[in-house]
Amino acid sequence: MTLGRAEIFGGRVLLIGLMTITVLPFISIFITALHPSGTLPRGLEWPAEPQWGNFVEAFKVANMTALLGSSVYIVLAVVPVALIISTMAGFAIGHLRIAGSRILLGLFVFGLTLPFGGIIVPLYYLERELGIYNTRLAIVLPLIGLYMPFAVFWMRTHFINMPSEISEAARVDGATIWDLFWRIQLPLARPPMAALGILMSVWTWNQFLLALVLVEDPTQRTMAGALGAFQGHYATDVPLLCAGTIIILLPTLIVFMLFQRQIIAALLQGSIKG
Amino acid sequence: MKRQFGLTVITIFLLAILVTSAYVPRVVAQDDLPNCGTEPVTLRGYFETGFDLPFRLAEEFERQFPNVSWDISQDQFANLINATPRLLTGDNPPDLIRLPTMVTFAEQGLLKNLDEYAAAFGWDEWPVPQLNQNRVAEDGTRGSGSLYAMGLNYSLTGIFYNKELAAQIGMTEPPQTLAEFDEILARAKEAGLLPIMQWGSAKSGMGLAFPLQNLMAAYGPVEPINDWIFQKPGATIDTPENLLAAQHLQRWIENGYFPPDINAIEYTDANARFGQGEGVFIFNGDWQNAGYDTDLPGKVGFFLMPPLEAGGAPAAMSAPLTFGIAANAKNPDCAAFFLNWVATDETARQIGVDVGGSNPGGPSGLPMPPVAEGSITNETLAAGVIIGEAGTSMDFIANATSAIFAQGWTPELQKMVGGRQDAAGLLKAVQAEYERQLSE
Amino acid sequence: MTSDIRRAASKFSRRTSQDKVVRRENIIGWLFVIPALVMYTIFVLVPLLMSIRYSFVRWNGIGPMTWVGLDNYITVLEDPDLLGTVFNAFRLVVFFSFIPVTLGLIVASVMHRVTTGRLGEIARTILFLPQVIPLVAAGIIWGWLLALPGLINEVLRGIGLDTIARAWLGDFDWALPSVGLIGIWVLLGFCTVLLWTGMTKLDPALFEAARIDGASWFTEFTKVTVPLLRNEIGVCLTVTVINALAAFDIVYVTTAGGPGNATAVPGIQIYILAFTELRIGLASALAVILMGLVLVVVLPIQRLNRGAAQ
Repeated sequence: MTLGRAEIFGGRVLLIGLMTITVLPFISIFITALHPSGTLPRGLEWPAEPQWGNFVEAFKVANMTALLGSSVYIVLAVVPVALIISTMAGFAIGHLRIAGSRILLGLFVFGLTLPFGGIIVPLYYLERELGIYNTRLAIVLPLIGLYMPFAVFWMRTHFINMPSEISEAARVDGATIWDLFWRIQLPLARPPMAALGILMSVWTWNQFLLALVLVEDPTQRTMAGALGAFQGHYATDVPLLCAGTIIILLPTLIVFMLFQRQIIAALLQGSIKG
Repeated sequence: MKRQFGLTVITIFLLAILVTSAYVPRVVAQDDLPNCGTEPVTLRGYFETGFDLPFRLAEEFERQFPNVSWDISQDQFANLINATPRLLTGDNPPDLIRLPTMVTFAEQGLLKNLDEYAAAFGWDEWPVPQLNQNRVAEDGTRGSGSLYAMGLNYSLTGIFYNKELAAQIGMTEPPQTLAEFDEILARAKEAGLLPIMQWGSAKSGMGLAFPLQNLMAAYGPVEPINDWIFQKPGATIDTPENLLAAQHLQRWIENGYFPPDINAIEYTDANARFGQGEGVFIFNGDWQNAGYDTDLPGKVGFFLMPPLEAGGAPAAMSAPLTFGIAANAKNPDCAAFFLNWVATDETARQIGVDVGGSNPGGPSGLPMPPVAEGSITNETLAAGVIIGEAGTSMDFIANATSAIFAQGWTPELQKMVGGRQDAAGLLKAVQAEYERQLSE
Repeated sequence: MTSDIRRAASKFSRRTSQDKVVRRENIIGWLFVIPALVMYTIFVLVPLLMSIRYSFVRWNGIGPMTWVGLDNYITVLEDPDLLGTVFNAFRLVVFFSFIPVTLGLIVASVMHRVTTGRLGEIARTILFLPQVIPLVAAGIIWGWLLALPGLINEVLRGIGLDTIARAWLGDFDWALPSVGLIGIWVLLGFCTVLLWTGMTKLDPALFEAARIDGASWFTEFTKVTVPLLRNEIGVCLTVTVINALAAFDIVYVTTAGGPGNATAVPGIQIYILAFTELRIGLASALAVILMGLVLVVVLPIQRLNRGAAQ
C-alpha cells in the first residue's frame, strides 16, 4: 500500500510551513535593515528606497573591521591548537589504550555537561592571576580547555573504530609511537578532524559570555561578543542594528552553506556518540 | 600493573588540582607613576556608549595638546557598571572612567582622591553644589568629605514635550502646578494621544524612576531624598511624602498614561519613538537635547516638574556626567588636567553646551557659551539657573548604590506596571534591598 | 630440569621485556594526553573547584574572604527570587526541550515517511540554520520581532487578533514563554535533523512491514519510530536540557531577566550577583547548584540511553 496523495501533500505543506517560519525572521531583519536609518518600520514592507548603504554604515560604525580581525584571530588561535591536542589525546586514549584510559575518558566526558556560567566567575579571577585577563588569550585559552571534553571524546571515538592491524604491522616494522601517530593515524583521521575543526570554528565565532566578561574592550571580543555593546549604541537606529546583526550572522551562514553536509553530519554524529 | 600505574598517576594528578585551586587571588598593587607635560602620553579612558560629549571633548583635547593621545574603550551602561570593579582593580586601570555610581569604589580605595588636584586647580572655589555630589566621607556617605570624581558638565532633567501635540490638546504654556499637569495628561488621554513616552526594559533600567523622583520632590523636600541617595545613616526612602508620590505614579500607570509595552521599551527606543511623534511628554535629561533638536527641530519644549502648590519651588534631578580617575591610574595628573580643562577652556565649554546640551560648570566668573537659536538647550539652561538659585537639585535615586537600580527600582517598578506591586510595597521593597546592600 | 628452568627463565625474561615496552608505551601515551589534560585542568577543572570553594565564603571580589559555611546555599534556597531562577530554568526546559523533541519527532517522521530527495535535503538545511548563528543574534532578531511594532503583532493584527497583540517580552506572563519560543526556533531544527538521521539508519524493512499492514502515520509513529529512536531522543533531550538550564545569551540580549524577575534564570542571576552586586560567594553557590542540576537531570537520561542501547 502506498501513501495516499493527501498524506504526501499534507506532509509537504507541513515542511514548507516550518521552513517558512524558520526563514521568516532572517528575511524580516534583512528587509528592516534596508529601511532608512532611524525609522521604525512595521512588518514586512519593502522600503520605498532600499538603503543598501546601511550595511556599509553599520560596518564602519561598529568598527567591524577590528571585530572581524579579532574574531578571525581568535578562531585561528583556538581551532588548530585544540585540534592537535585533542587528536593526540584521542589517539592515546582510543588507540593506544594507555593505562587509566577509562578514568581519563570519564574525566573529560564529565566536562561535557558543564555550563560556562558555572565557571565564568572563577575563570575571571584565575585569568587575573595568570596575567592574561583582557587580552585575546583571555578568550583563546579557556575555549581550548572548554572544547576538550567534546573534542577528545570525538577523536577518541574515531580512533577506537580504527582497526589495529595497520598499527600492528607498522610496529613490527619498527615504527615508534610518534611515527605511528604522525605518519599513519593522523592522515587517516582527516575527515573527523575536518568536521571537528568546522564545528569549533563556528562555536568560537558565536561565543558570547566569555568574550563579554573576560575582555573589556568590545573591539577585542568576538563578533557575537561585541553585539551587546553594538546594541546599546544603536538601539535607536533599528535599521542599522539589523544591518549590523546581519553582518555578524553572515560569516557563519556562509560557512554553513558551504559545508552544510559536513557540519550537520558532524554535529549529529558527535551528539549520538555523546 | 597497568591499572595501578594509571590509578597512581591519576591520584597524584587530582591532588595537584586540589592544591592549586586552594590559592587566594591577590590583587596586584601598582606604583603610581606620575607623569604629564610634553612627553607623549596615552590617556586610557573608559566611556559609556551613546554619549557623544566625552568623545568630542577628548578629540578637542588631542587637537589642543598634540602630545596626548587617547585610548578609549566604550561599553553599554549595564556592561559598564558590571565591568567597573574589574577595570579599577585591573592591571591597566583607566586614567578616566565614567562613574555612574562611585561610593563603593571610593570606600575601597579604588578611586584617586582628588583633593590635591582640587586645591591645586582651585576647584574648591567653584559653586559648591557642583562638587558636593562627588564627595565621599570616611563613613561612606556622600555629599561631604574628599573629592573622588568630577563632572564633565552638569545636566538637568525635567519634562520635554512635543509642541505640536501639546497644541492639539490646548496646552499653550507649561503647567504651573501638579494638578494642572494631571489635568493636561487626562486631556491628552481623552484625545487619543499617548500622554507620556518612557522606557522601562531591564536592559536600560526602569525610566519610571524619573517621574517618581520628580513626584517625590513635589510632595516633599529634597533633603531626605538626597540623604538616602548619599547613604546617610538612618536614611529611608519609605516616607509618607514618598508614599503619596508613589501612589500618584500608580494612578498615572492605571490611567494608561504610559505606553502599554513600557516594560519592553529600551531607553534609545523611547527617544526614537518620541522623536517620531509618539507621546506628548517624556521625562528625560538635557543630555538628549541634541537628539531632540535633530528629530523635532523647533517643536520640542521643556519645563521643570511643577510643584504641588502654585509658587512652590520646583526641584529637579541634576547630576554631573561623573568621571573619576582610578587609584592606580598611570597618568592621573594628566587626567586631572583634562578635567580642569573641560570646565575652563572656551572651546571645551562650547562643546559642552552644543553636544552635551548642558551647563559646563566651572568657576562662576566664566561666561556661558552661546546656544544656537531654537535649540531646546536654551530652555534647559534657563531652567538650570532656576534650580541653582532654588537649591533644589537632587542626584538620581537610581544611583544610591551600584545595584539598587538593577535589583531594586527596576524590577519593582516593572511589577507595578504589571499590576503586581503597589506604591507601599514598592517603597518597602526598595528600602529593604537598599539596607541589605549597605549591610553587605 | 635445567631445560625447564631455562624455559621458565626465558618466559620470565620475555614477560619483563614486554612489560618494559608496555611501560614505555604508557609513558609516551600519557605524554600525548598531557597537553589536552593540562588545558582542560587549568581552564575547566580548576575553576570548577574554585567555584565550589567560593561558594562557602562571603566575598566581594576585592577585599578579604570570610568563611560562612553553607549560608550561601541556604540563602539560595530561602530567597524566593533566587529560587525562582531555578523554577524559571525548569520552565524553559519545557520550551527548549520537550517541545522541540516532540515536535521534532513528528516532523522528522513526516519527513521520513513522505519525502525523499531534494525537498528533504533543502528542508534539513534550512531547518538547521538557526543552530549556526550566534544565540545573541537570535535574541536580537526575535527581540525585534516580538516588540509591539514587530512582525508577530503585525501578523496578529492582520488576522484580526488585535486584542492579543502586546509587547511579548515586556509582559509578566508572556516574557518567559516568549524566550521559550526563541529557544524552540533555535533548537527545533537540530532535533528534527538529528531524529530524521536516526530514522534513516533504521532498517527500512520495519517501516515497509508497517505500511504493508496498512498502518496509519500515527500507528507507525508510536509503535515503530519512537521506540527505536531511544538513543537519538536521549541525545536531543540532553542537548536541549543543558541549553535550557544554562541559558544566558538569549535572555541577556532580550530581557536581561525582566520584567521583574519573570525571565531571571540562573545564568543571568550568577552574572548579576557576581559582577553587579559583587556577591561572589552567593554567585558561586548558585553556580554550583546550577551545575548540580544539570548533572541530576542529564545523568538519568544517559542511563536510560545506555540501557536502551544494550
